Amino acid sequence: MTALRALVRKELASLFGAPTAYLALSMVALVTALIFFDHLRLYNQILFVYDSATMGGFASDTVPDYVNLWDSVFFPVMETLGLTLIGVVPLVTMRVFAEERARGTDELLFTTRLTPGQIVLAKFAAAYLFVTLMMAVSFLYPATAIEQGGLGLEHLAAVFLGLTLHGIGLASIGLLCSAFTSSQLVAAVSAWAVAFLLWDLSWASGFVGDRIAALLEALSIQPRYSSFAGGVVSLANVIYFAGIALVSLAAARFSFDLRRVSG
Amino acid sequence: MRELALVGVIALAFGLGSYHATRELTAFAVLNLAAGTLAFAAAAGLALRRLRFAAGSHSRRVLLRGLLGVAGALALALALERAAAWSGLRGDLTFERSFELAPATRKALAELPGELTATLYHDRFDPRARNTRLLLASLAEAGRVKVRERQLSDSPEALDRFGIAGSNTVVLELGSRFETVDRPLEATLYEALYRLRSRSNGVIGVLRGEGEGDVSSEAELGFSGLAAALATEGYQVRSLVTASLAEIPADVDAVLLLGPRRALLPESVAMLEGYLERGGRLLALLEPGAQSGIEALLDGWGIQAPDGVIVDPASGASGDGALGIDPIAYNYESHPLSRGLNPDRMTFFAGARPLVLHNAGPADSVRRVVLASPHSWVTQDLSVLSRRRGALMPDGAAQDYHTIAAAGRYPRAAGDARIVVIGDSDFASNRYLRSLYNLDLAMNAVHWVVERESEITLRPKLRTPKQFPLPIQNTLRTFHGVGLLVPELLLLGGGLVWLRRRQA
Repeated sequence: MTALRALVRKELASLFGAPTAYLALSMVALVTALIFFDHLRLYNQILFVYDSATMGGFASDTVPDYVNLWDSVFFPVMETLGLTLIGVVPLVTMRVFAEERARGTDELLFTTRLTPGQIVLAKFAAAYLFVTLMMAVSFLYPATAIEQGGLGLEHLAAVFLGLTLHGIGLASIGLLCSAFTSSQLVAAVSAWAVAFLLWDLSWASGFVGDRIAALLEALSIQPRYSSFAGGVVSLANVIYFAGIALVSLAAARFSFDLRRVSG
Repeated sequence: MRELALVGVIALAFGLGSYHATRELTAFAVLNLAAGTLAFAAAAGLALRRLRFAAGSHSRRVLLRGLLGVAGALALALALERAAAWSGLRGDLTFERSFELAPATRKALAELPGELTATLYHDRFDPRARNTRLLLASLAEAGRVKVRERQLSDSPEALDRFGIAGSNTVVLELGSRFETVDRPLEATLYEALYRLRSRSNGVIGVLRGEGEGDVSSEAELGFSGLAAALATEGYQVRSLVTASLAEIPADVDAVLLLGPRRALLPESVAMLEGYLERGGRLLALLEPGAQSGIEALLDGWGIQAPDGVIVDPASGASGDGALGIDPIAYNYESHPLSRGLNPDRMTFFAGARPLVLHNAGPADSVRRVVLASPHSWVTQDLSVLSRRRGALMPDGAAQDYHTIAAAGRYPRAAGDARIVVIGDSDFASNRYLRSLYNLDLAMNAVHWVVERESEITLRPKLRTPKQFPLPIQNTLRTFHGVGLLVPELLLLGGGLVWLRRRQA
């Protein structure tokens, strides 16, 4: 356990010892803040238009239902953030296994008392902690602004949980891709492709029957993530993301076996 | 092999990227997806071939064990996810609890005779579809509902067949019948579900001609909303002009008396008396300050309606500043009619008349149902209603749980008579019917008098999302303080780390 903790610590130190991590955190936080502020400005303008059209002061019954803080501001921002994360998270995870493999330092790890499973677990844990921090940093401004509007902390908690699980799912895919290659570029690009593919499989629904279409939707990340962003926390959706992590862990562990065999 | 894999990955990424940007499978997207899949398949084939030639029996065992581990993890994840989906465990954390289905909706779904198909027709970029999708998912989890989505542009025939007027429309299909809901909220979907069930609960006769409320009036204090709700829940609403009737028709299941403002003819009162003696059912909504002659009839059935107004300071001031004359009731006696109502599910009355109960007969059962708060008192000064100012408590006035609604059951030789009296009619008017739990009280009172207790339930509420502005000026400080400062500090930290690494 101590060795495992030490490896997690080493991984975190390695992450925060490189400027990439700070850059990624900063970029995600900045992009989210700017997008949120822009949506907020647009929302106020829409309300202003309705206000002016009625000429009778702000009257909520003249504004369509869907023009509200959640649907017009928070929800689209979270959707954009979800897509942004597909671009950013693989950049953070691409080096975790691939770099060690390229430098040959992974051989050193095998000389420790740690099993391949523990090594994979430590690297995944460190990446998950980083992703959670990334979510917290990017979520800070929208959450503070929305909370000032008095819209309830429970919904915010649901969104944050969804964001974190989405980030963890993406990190798992990124780590899995990193585990199968020694090239950081290949790791990042393949993680983008897999994440994009999984994000929304509804494109294939037009070519298949209803049953397969339902299966494709069940496999897609986007409807699951949207559910959290909409304020609904479903156990099935939590397990879906945990399942991605579990399968990725097992597959990353398998990559070690594959390497031993293929040399 | 790696080159092929890289080509496959890039082609797939661009193919999917093109689809996500345009939401259409263009030739560019299809070509990239096809090329990417082929390249991937070729790379995988080459990799397998390489492994087959490279691996010995020990290596194969290692690989097999690893693959079994991955397959096991996949199977476990799938099994857990399916089990969780089957359990339907989920929490609605929205501010308005927008996706928590009301008991009435659950009941309507449970009583559907077959599988319901709910199809959402929408434009690709319609933001309203998000919430409708979540709402339909709630329906699917609660009953035998198959949910589908169709793009409007792909379904021209459906527009004609179902009369779809625009995006974000839900069509509910049950066998050969369908209902089109163009503003899909839980309340509207519930009404459509009820109509699809096509249940007939009976005939409600509404007394007319002597200053009663008008069920065809769409004015604020009209009752067209109540008539629509009755029709939705399977009642046929029939006007009964009292002056032209000798007796209440036999096929009428209950009589509804809506706030009579003038005195009823003695013949009309006698007709009602005879109807009740034959085991009739009456729902009477009275108004303070109006003497219609029905009061004497009700007194004979154990329900007195003395002239006066309930003043309930616990309800606070109403919209125009009058203190306590519009009671908000949150005390309910245990009675089938008030099933589901509790102190969190309040009902609103716009000026209520007190009711006093007494035993009418040894076998009769007259019960209080809705009560004002224990701080309430009664004033005979009816001018408080017109002055709309706070009333002063008269000397000797008793503060007590004054009765706003009562229900009586009277076994008679011809059958059980049932009477529900509510000391206010405005609570069921178009203006107040959808306030708090007024609709539930009104409809459940009808269901109780016609002996359809199984229909007593709580209906979905129309929830309005918050639409107040969040002024930029107010959030600018937050934007600078959190939105910009945090990324700036992180960037500074990254810059310093980079410089240190360069120096090292």
